[in-house]
Amino acid sequence: MFKKLLFTVFALLLSASAYAQSGTLTGQITDAETGEPLIGATVYIESINRGTQSDVDGNYTITGVDAGTYTVSYRYVGYVTVNEVVEIGSGTVTRNVELSVDVVGLDEFVVSGYAVQQKREVTGSISTVSSQDLENVSLQNTESLLQGRAAGVNITTTSGNPGGAFRVNIRGNGSINAATEPLYIVDGVQISFAQLSSQASTSPLNTLNPSDIESIEVLKDAASAAIYGAQAAAGVVIITTKDGSAGPTQITARAETGVRSLANNVDYISSEQYVEYMGEALALNSGVTPGGDYSSYEDIYRNFFLSFFGSPVEAGDELANTNWQDFIFDEGVTQKYNVSASGGNSATTFRISGGYESTEGTAFNSDFTRLNLRTNIDHELAQNWRTSVRLNISRSGQTGVCQDGNFINCPPSQAMFEAPMSFPYLFDGSYNPNTRFGEPFNPAVVKNEVDRENTVTQILSSIRLQYQANDWLSFNGSMNVDYRNTQDNQYRSAIAAPSQNGWISFANRNVENYQGNLIANLSKTFDGVHAVSGFVGTEYRSDYSESQVTRGDGLPGPFFTVLSATSTPTTASGINSEWRQASYFGNVDYVYDEKYILKLVARYDGNSRFGQDTRWGFFPSVSAGWRISEEDFLNIDAINELKLRVGYGTTGNSAIGNFAARGLYSASGSYLGSTGLRPTQLANANLGWEEAKEINVGLDYELFDGRLYGSIDAYQKDTEELLFGRPLPSDSGYGSITENIGSVRNTGVEFEVNSVNVVRSGFRWQTRFNVAFSDNEILELPNGDPIGEDALFTSLIEGQPIGQIQVVRWAGVNPADGRPMWYDADGNITYTPTNSVDAVNYKDGVANTVGGFGNTISYKGLSLDAFFQFSFGQWAFPNTDYYFTRTPDFLMNLSTEVLERWRMPGDVTSYPRAITGGTDFAETANYRTQLSTASIYNASYIRLKNISLNYSLPDRFTQRVGLNNVTFFASATNLVTWTAWPFYDPEVAFSPNDIYNNLTAASYPTERQVNAGIEIQF
Amino acid sequence: MKKFKTLKYALVVALFVGFTGCDSMLDGVEPSTSVSSEVVLTSEDGVNALRASMYSKIHENFSMHTEYFVGPSAFSDETRNRPGSTRYQALNNATGTSGGTAHLNNWGLYEIIQDANLLIGAVDPSVFEDPATLDQYRGEALALRAFAMHIMVRVYGYEPGNFGQGDLEGNWDAGIIIRTEPTLDLSDADLRPRSTVNEVYTQILNDLSTAKTLLAGRNSDNRYITEAFVDGLTARVNLYAGNWGAAATAAQNAIDNFPNSLENTATGVADMFDERTSNAHSEALFLVVINPDTEGGGYNNSGPATYTADGFLAQLPTQFLIDKYDAADHRLGWYQDCTTTQLNPLTSPTNCDAINTNGFAITKFRGEKGNSVDDLPMMRLSEMYLIRAEGLAKDQNNPAAGVPDLETLRTARNVGAVPASALASQQAFEDFILDERMRELGVEGHRFYDLKRLQRDVRNPDGSLKMRAESYRILAEIGSGLRNVNDQLVENPGYE
Repeated sequence: MFKKLLFTVFALLLSASAYAQSGTLTGQITDAETGEPLIGATVYIESINRGTQSDVDGNYTITGVDAGTYTVSYRYVGYVTVNEVVEIGSGTVTRNVELSVDVVGLDEFVVSGYAVQQKREVTGSISTVSSQDLENVSLQNTESLLQGRAAGVNITTTSGNPGGAFRVNIRGNGSINAATEPLYIVDGVQISFAQLSSQASTSPLNTLNPSDIESIEVLKDAASAAIYGAQAAAGVVIITTKDGSAGPTQITARAETGVRSLANNVDYISSEQYVEYMGEALALNSGVTPGGDYSSYEDIYRNFFLSFFGSPVEAGDELANTNWQDFIFDEGVTQKYNVSASGGNSATTFRISGGYESTEGTAFNSDFTRLNLRTNIDHELAQNWRTSVRLNISRSGQTGVCQDGNFINCPPSQAMFEAPMSFPYLFDGSYNPNTRFGEPFNPAVVKNEVDRENTVTQILSSIRLQYQANDWLSFNGSMNVDYRNTQDNQYRSAIAAPSQNGWISFANRNVENYQGNLIANLSKTFDGVHAVSGFVGTEYRSDYSESQVTRGDGLPGPFFTVLSATSTPTTASGINSEWRQASYFGNVDYVYDEKYILKLVARYDGNSRFGQDTRWGFFPSVSAGWRISEEDFLNIDAINELKLRVGYGTTGNSAIGNFAARGLYSASGSYLGSTGLRPTQLANANLGWEEAKEINVGLDYELFDGRLYGSIDAYQKDTEELLFGRPLPSDSGYGSITENIGSVRNTGVEFEVNSVNVVRSGFRWQTRFNVAFSDNEILELPNGDPIGEDALFTSLIEGQPIGQIQVVRWAGVNPADGRPMWYDADGNITYTPTNSVDAVNYKDGVANTVGGFGNTISYKGLSLDAFFQFSFGQWAFPNTDYYFTRTPDFLMNLSTEVLERWRMPGDVTSYPRAITGGTDFAETANYRTQLSTASIYNASYIRLKNISLNYSLPDRFTQRVGLNNVTFFASATNLVTWTAWPFYDPEVAFSPNDIYNNLTAASYPTERQVNAGIEIQF
Repeated sequence: MKKFKTLKYALVVALFVGFTGCDSMLDGVEPSTSVSSEVVLTSEDGVNALRASMYSKIHENFSMHTEYFVGPSAFSDETRNRPGSTRYQALNNATGTSGGTAHLNNWGLYEIIQDANLLIGAVDPSVFEDPATLDQYRGEALALRAFAMHIMVRVYGYEPGNFGQGDLEGNWDAGIIIRTEPTLDLSDADLRPRSTVNEVYTQILNDLSTAKTLLAGRNSDNRYITEAFVDGLTARVNLYAGNWGAAATAAQNAIDNFPNSLENTATGVADMFDERTSNAHSEALFLVVINPDTEGGGYNNSGPATYTADGFLAQLPTQFLIDKYDAADHRLGWYQDCTTTQLNPLTSPTNCDAINTNGFAITKFRGEKGNSVDDLPMMRLSEMYLIRAEGLAKDQNNPAAGVPDLETLRTARNVGAVPASALASQQAFEDFILDERMRELGVEGHRFYDLKRLQRDVRNPDGSLKMRAESYRILAEIGSGLRNVNDQLVENPGYE
């Protein structure tokens, strides 16, 4: 091996010294359709590793080429690569080449798990987002790149915290008590979601720099995903990073900066309006005639507020009028720098890249930083032996805020909890001790005296060895590592935690997730028409995670933030957990005459989480494709490709507790110095997988020479054997046992359309559109009994979707006296509805219609891309907004909706008479707590998710300074949103902690970001 | 090249062979804070830990501390809540007419029975080299199972012989569910109906009989179950069952087997519940010991001290109770000014004198161990004299037969002879015994059950009627939560 390498190097050196007997290759590269010169196209002679790029006139020249016959490749982004055989003698050979635009989607390759497949031969439902779609999209997270771009993949931000997590829902909600997270695979590495930071919304995919991503494939249906068996019921997301390609080393440097701001503010009333409201409420409650003189009652409240909240002025006689949103949410600055180098020769290709990002969030203190290094190397070890290494190392950090709940110390809820009369600082600059929940929870104290940081060090790596045994058989072995260390630090000064005199906590979390697999690939064509290919493989995964949490109370002052400085250690705890999976899998593809395609997939998974008797599960799928366009009877010029696909398969959901099937004794309790061990979980040897059975029918089309292409898919996915806790008689000593009972159905239709509208004289206009319609229905529950039958938001009832909202109907405000009214079950007006009797099935939390559309317009070096994302059908209850900012019960911010209140007899209004709190009318339900259809809001929206403008300098400028390409760009994210949702953000209108998707409590709203930058290639 | 070819085959073969062991590669994954049942039941350490769990469930379970000691007093006439406090106010106020209001509730004690059943029936006999160790553990488990069953059955069922007590049902003898086998797998967690009270008492007495054999001679460490405690519990259960002679005999056995005798000095009596003194709990037949630093977690909020003398200072002794004592009674030392009793003041006590004129609190549970924690004397020697007195008098239908034991106790407490009026009739003697039990065992978990087993009306401290003996409210509700899971579980009368 070494000898051979030495020989190669030697030969290269020799060839350089033989310069004198060589010739020159020259020519012009033009657009086949317009005849215009293509600037910056690559010309490359692989066998001698020489190449160049075309100049401003499309001309190129390679000198000093040894006499001989070569294959020369001509490449240009967005055009079909041309390979020409050229014979070079001692003179100059001229080759002019025309390249044609590659608009055809179906020639692309699709990574479908363990193998790469030509899109023509795909028989399942796979959505692809490629790097071209994502250029100049300034986002921190991998998941966000998919948002709105893959039909049927519903992605929602769970937090506006930079680096925050996403909820990714592929083809509906298929589980109730097991996880619904899809399986993520990065360059073959299956990613673990265990032991994430508890201090900020975060994702393990933050390790990836989005600019390193080549493509994201989503395996949506069971026929495609079955190759991942028991981990695939919620779909599979396959992320592939960019490789190097043979040719001269190309260096790309990119820098951008921008501003991040709150996308939407909520309107609250001022202090003076608050006083008016309260005075009016008290006056009316005291029997003053509506429209009378309320001033003495207003004075009562003005004085009360002064005594309750204090005054920001020294004289102490003025109420504050604080805009807390401005205090809590502020603009943040983002900066990003990326550098990459790629290139190589016939034996070795590489791409190395490094990136740094620092982004400040809008909620005070929140931020995200990431430093990452990636090395992708492919190398031919020897003839028929190849190896590749993918290595990503990152260190990321977040300062997080708490969110998603009515917590008095979390900035998103504090923006609602602090009234305008409250204020952060006294006139002398010290903290106001009279904010709503006292000094420790004064938002200024939370801002300055609390620190929540996590730092994540992550290594994602795979190494692969490939052996091509002959022209039809090859072997692949790979080892994959996903290692993540997360450190959570939290500090609270003595001001923020007076009863402990300050404290700090430190948590150390580790994930060691290893996989190894071995695959034999076969591919052979018989008699010219029978193409058989496939693979068999085996895989092993072990996912170990652990955490240690420590905390110390009592800090000597603000100088120390280490445990050693604390006076009392209060917490020292630690746990670890593990699961393992072993698998065998295989796949056979049979293609007859490039017309009929049959695909069989099967996976046999064993998982340590399951009972001895159900440890192994078999997940088969079958799918078929018929390329109708290849049939003689369909000889229509306009139709280039038409393929019908049908698939059926079974996948599993193994995402349950690591030891859910075991009979367990836990360490608990002690007596006379002996720690107790007691039974805590009854063994269930029959606990098995949740199983998704899915049928998918699809059609791929490509019309008018590739000007219009896309696909249509329809599916029905039944997830059966759902896990539920069945209650046991408590006299057995156990409360419940987890069993496989119940099923859920998701059905839907998905459309993807892409079109190239105009390609003329350098002008190009492309459009893309996708939409997915879906429905969710609970088919079967344990014994058919509803779970939480009368619950407003969390009921599970057969025949209804997960997330059905059950509330009584709102009947408006009585014009006579301003009392709130509801309808009872019979449709009669009532003042005292009973939810269990009078509630109706109102809306649900299922976003039935989601998708996106975009337009790209380019002319020469200028291009404009606008991408919209939409979501319709989800309704939700804004828990914090409604309970705390609609009435003055808690003396918090009050929504401007109160300005629409009833004031005089005869007023027809949406808001009742002013109330001081509680139930102001006898025999009338509490307006604040009696939820109704008026409390449920439509969370549908259309959002200009991304808009970007690029300008590449003409080569005649760049080449003069020795650069290949210079691009300036500007982009904006979440610039405009159209929605009926009157609160911060419809996208975060759900709780990330439940499956119902219909209730939100003080989430961190999604942010708007505007960036500009420059990219240089040389 | 050849080298590579060899490597290739070696790699392929090695990996495939490696993967054939897949099933075993899935084994060996163990949780970090749990172990599998096999590990526990087949190792000495595991069985010791299971035993520790069984005992620790006593001090962890509200039904076995605050509800056990304070509940029956609050539900009858021994304590009332200090105005301004709310703990057990619901039990104080619960009357005979409003279904669904507060009652005692201890169905949760099956979790103790579960540990006991595992020790009795699931431990590999070869775990201990000395079989006597396992015998001891089984004896303890049998006694604890009997103890838990008796505490439960007296809440949910009438006592044997009293089945006609209620006026809603002519004959109501439903007890509790009997579980004597360990729940090892799902099929063991079957649905069962309530057994009759007689069946439950038979099971309890059988368990105690076996336990006495297994624990014979083990009387040195009252922090675990001893033979003396088994005798004492046998006496108590027989007393409830109306087996007067058997109750008296078993009480005598307990007195004989218990190494200590009654405290008979003013300080000896007054300090017997104070863990800071050397004679603390000298009369405890079974003392559950709690480490206040590691095991006192919930006691600040819900321990017996928090309810009565510390913290919330909620349930104070009624004047009705205080009035039962003579001035010379050593036992008056158990009552002290409510302000001084507080070792861990959560509230500044006010209105103590609204419950008794001296503003007393009862100091049997006072949190002397710290963190509002007290050790729990589940049964005391003095109860044995009281059981023997009542048992002998009723067995021989002669009040005088009970006098010697009563006087032994009364002498130790410095109150002298039994007055002649108490011997006038069986009824008068029973009244006197009930008063003596209040004086001796107040806020130790007896008053409501004494009234119930003797089919007496439950009255408020001022003498007004709280619950007639015939009221359905004497028995606790099973509740829809339990019955929804188990359709074989019938509700007590009056609650559906």
